[in-house]
Amino acid sequence: MPKLTLKFEDKVIKEVAIGTQPVIVGRSPDTDIQIDNLAVSTNHAKVFVEEGRLVVEDMNSLNGTFVNNQKIQRTVLKTGDSIQIGKHHLVVDDSWEAGSAPVPDQPKKMVAPKVQETMVLDSKKRLEMLQQAAAAAGVKIPGAPAGSAPAAAGAATVPAAAPPARARLGTLIVMSGSTDQREYLLSGKLTVIGKSDMATVKITGFNWFKPKIAAQVNKRDDGYYLTKGDKVPTVNGLPIQGAAKLNDGDLIEVAGLKLNFVYKD
Amino acid sequence: MKVDIGVRTDVGRVRTNNEDNFKVVPELHLFVLSDGMGGEAHGEVASQMAVEGIAAHCQEAQKNPKTPLFGPHRPDLTETTNRLVSAVQVANQMILQTAERDPTHRGMGATVVVVRVSNGRMSIAHVGDSRLYLMRLGEFQQLTNDHSLVAEQVRRGILSQDQAEDSKMQSVLLRALGVEAEVEVEADEQILMDGDTLLLCSDGLTRMVSDEEIALTLQTADSAQKAVDRLVEMACDYGGQDNVTVVAAKFKKTSDGLLARAWRWLNEPLDS
Repeated sequence: MPKLTLKFEDKVIKEVAIGTQPVIVGRSPDTDIQIDNLAVSTNHAKVFVEEGRLVVEDMNSLNGTFVNNQKIQRTVLKTGDSIQIGKHHLVVDDSWEAGSAPVPDQPKKMVAPKVQETMVLDSKKRLEMLQQAAAAAGVKIPGAPAGSAPAAAGAATVPAAAPPARARLGTLIVMSGSTDQREYLLSGKLTVIGKSDMATVKITGFNWFKPKIAAQVNKRDDGYYLTKGDKVPTVNGLPIQGAAKLNDGDLIEVAGLKLNFVYKD
Repeated sequence: MKVDIGVRTDVGRVRTNNEDNFKVVPELHLFVLSDGMGGEAHGEVASQMAVEGIAAHCQEAQKNPKTPLFGPHRPDLTETTNRLVSAVQVANQMILQTAERDPTHRGMGATVVVVRVSNGRMSIAHVGDSRLYLMRLGEFQQLTNDHSLVAEQVRRGILSQDQAEDSKMQSVLLRALGVEAEVEVEADEQILMDGDTLLLCSDGLTRMVSDEEIALTLQTADSAQKAVDRLVEMACDYGGQDNVTVVAAKFKKTSDGLLARAWRWLNEPLDS
């Protein structure tokens, strides 16, 4: 007979077998599995057998019912699934033999937070939780230990973000115009182009009519972005809109300067 | 440089306790905002330590530039930005140590966003989901990335922006002060331009009021104080689910008289 094991953190509180009648989980003493916690609604969720399958359905609870960290309205359960209700969880054993094997050890799962309360994941839990969410969406998380997340079959549709290209530094090479250097390695978070004292790419020569801050380049984890200053720069002949991500070989023109952006290893 | 500053914090309409804190140090052009967490563990203690600790470390370093940096020096950041990161690390240690010493404070933590303007640059550091926005020439943009589970899922393509806004997991943070001995502080630098308005806020504002409404309010208000007053009222009117804190600063170049400009012109070196 299928059964549910109610746990709080790692402590087993009770086990309930599921027969022909639905099992109601809630805060009310009339429920089959009572969880006396304000985060739990009076009648929170029910678990029942339908066409030979075990099903959980949320009973319009305030804080929701989660299965393996995914919020659900109704879903089919299988052995090893974890239903989270408030800070408690119910581990599912959907085996049908009488006197079936004990509930397999569950890896400790994140407990769904109450909506209002802020919680923080430490680095380990962070990876775990992202992984679970990603596995459900069919995305691989780089850096996650292999094999620890149940892979969703045939669901690899969403591409993961590319790993940050931190190692390579960009360079601006001055093709024309008068500046204090011919080449600038973009090692800082912010590179300013202009005649201002704070400019890295400093416009020299007859610069009376040159802007103090012509444009700026911001280094981010995923590359370099050019944004306007007092002038709107062009990249490969087109004026930029907002922040323009720079690609290897781009030609930037601003305030009479022609700058070639290249990645150097 | 003239700075028009507005500040306001409010407990909101649902909670009984305000765990947000902020601090402005006008002479340093330093603005700090922190959202505490931990309920019974006194989140307001953590957020106050964050804003006071950060301000104190920056003020100390201003008086004595030899004040050692807490944590490694990052070569891609200016000295000012390195100092901010160091200040955030100091605040993290203060919160952690207090929580370890005093059991009633165990479990407290805080987010923080801090910006300092100096030499025409903004230095920015943040941990958690409190935000910094920039309004420049009618364009409104968020300068910080939230360190929250849903924001990370959006960045990784697991959730869409709309799904993220409806997610029940919005309150799950990936980073905060007071959790681990080493906190990863995100830092950035931007140029500051004449007329820029900076806005720091806790999630109590952004969960209730849309970016468009915030932008419009900033553009139409007569002063920074009127803008933040209006924003806090809006957050409360829309439900006030959480504490809400807003700090706004509009930077204007002081307009010189003709004489001062002429004097500078004459003294400007004539390059060959």
